[in-house]
Amino acid sequence: MTWQLNPQDQWLWIWAIVLGAFVLVLGLIPLLQVLPPRGRRALVVGITFLAGLFFAAEFFMPVNEEQKNMLTPAIQPAQNLLQLIGALALGLGTYGLVRLHLKNVVQKRTQWGYSVVLLVSFVTMAFFSIWNTLAEKELAPKTPLLENSFKLLFDFTLVQLDAAMFSLIAFYIFSAAYRAFRIRSIEASILMFTAMVVMIGVVPLGAYISYDLMGFSAEPTPEGASFVQMLVHNLGLPKVANWILTSLNAPAQRAIEFGVGIGGLAMAIRLWLSLERGIT
Amino acid sequence: MTYQHAQDNWFSAIIIGFIALMVLLNIFRARVGAQLFIRRIPGLDAIDEAIGRSTEMGRPVTMIPGMTSFGVVAVQSLTIFKYITKQIARFATPMRLLTGDATVFAVAQEAIADAYNESGRPDLYDGDSIRFLSDRQFAFASGVAGLIQRERVAANFMFGEFYAESLIFAETGNMVGAIQVAGTISFTQVPFFVAACDYTIIGDEFYATSAYLSREPVLLGSLVGQDIAKFTFAFLALSGATLATVFGVDDSIIKLLGQPGGFDAFIQEYFGGGTP
Repeated sequence: MTWQLNPQDQWLWIWAIVLGAFVLVLGLIPLLQVLPPRGRRALVVGITFLAGLFFAAEFFMPVNEEQKNMLTPAIQPAQNLLQLIGALALGLGTYGLVRLHLKNVVQKRTQWGYSVVLLVSFVTMAFFSIWNTLAEKELAPKTPLLENSFKLLFDFTLVQLDAAMFSLIAFYIFSAAYRAFRIRSIEASILMFTAMVVMIGVVPLGAYISYDLMGFSAEPTPEGASFVQMLVHNLGLPKVANWILTSLNAPAQRAIEFGVGIGGLAMAIRLWLSLERGIT
Repeated sequence: MTYQHAQDNWFSAIIIGFIALMVLLNIFRARVGAQLFIRRIPGLDAIDEAIGRSTEMGRPVTMIPGMTSFGVVAVQSLTIFKYITKQIARFATPMRLLTGDATVFAVAQEAIADAYNESGRPDLYDGDSIRFLSDRQFAFASGVAGLIQRERVAANFMFGEFYAESLIFAETGNMVGAIQVAGTISFTQVPFFVAACDYTIIGDEFYATSAYLSREPVLLGSLVGQDIAKFTFAFLALSGATLATVFGVDDSIIKLLGQPGGFDAFIQEYFGGGTP
């Protein structure tokens, strides 16, 4: 069974799907409004259950040698549908943003100058982006003005501003680490000591202190070594730092991941069966 | 290791079924009146304290679901924000919900409007308080940091999925002296939140938040089911480590726990006569 379209029927099918989706959406909106709250909820619960069932069934149904079952080809179209919803929501979000800043400018609210900057940037960026996309599809001329403006706006402005914001994190890490490592309690002291060992251990300074100054062995533990020999062989800061990262840090992170995974699964089950009443 | 289908390792499918069963069974137990215990989470007790402080200072509260795209995490974040908004509505404290995902923005508008309606204060709802800033990570980060600075927020709640921008939010909030409560499933961001925020909700505590705040039987039951599943995982991990130590990592029982085709190999070896 295939969900792919034959090339000769493609346009006919595309129009049929678009028209069908249009009728479905236009029909669903008045239906939702006409129905009493109970009926509306039942409809939403039913659609949610069927949508969830589709993905669950695709996972649990046996597959052939190509790792496919009868529902697998429909996974991609279903995910495309989710992208479509995302694109519609993006329009809604952009409308909300522009409306808010237009209001700021028209009503001359506090700091309305920032809103002017946002609106001008928004229009300029959108104009050159759309023009560039059309030019790439050879639907509009690719002029030097477009090339220079696009480069100026994206490569020389947007990317640089992104990089500037990202680089701020280095300074924030410094100030946050200073507060976290202040010795106020036993826990903070352990945190600071561990952090110091790891920080020094993973940079060349750690190897220099351990192997060159203190004379610890940089070689791996020999076969058949006793416990004391093993201990002596692994006292260098780089090895201790590696042990902290792989034997203490990684299991703790995995435990958190397990918890998050189980929590997410439980939440998904509640949403699928409409047992979750938070925002639904 | 990821599985595309249950057939890749039936054991993982059985585990998923077991977790689902535990969750549903305990939801049923809670619904029929079983008394379920939930331990104290200090970070969540601080929410009311932070809102009270904002009210006293007359400064806004910010709620940030991060760059979370719409899904299970976003629903959980919005459920928490809905609870916070209900508390805010009682004192008419100003609020801002800032998101980097347009779908979350659309749903947040409805959720927050509902929260004001359910609190009996629909007049306080202002659609402009819920803002979609940008879907570019650092444009969103600069937008949030700018708003926190300009409006000198008194409380900052960050619940959702965060990436490198987490520290920008938390440090900016710290600079303006806001009480900050963060909860995230992104464990790489947990150290940043621990360092910069007053309270941090870690890992699966994030999913326990709605149960803790609402004390709804369905959510409490689900939480107990999750805990049983966690104990099962801990038991399996311990058993796996012991068995791998005793029998070696190539034993079929170890493959059963974590390799594609391991279930079939195990069944064939122990019940079908010989290794395939």
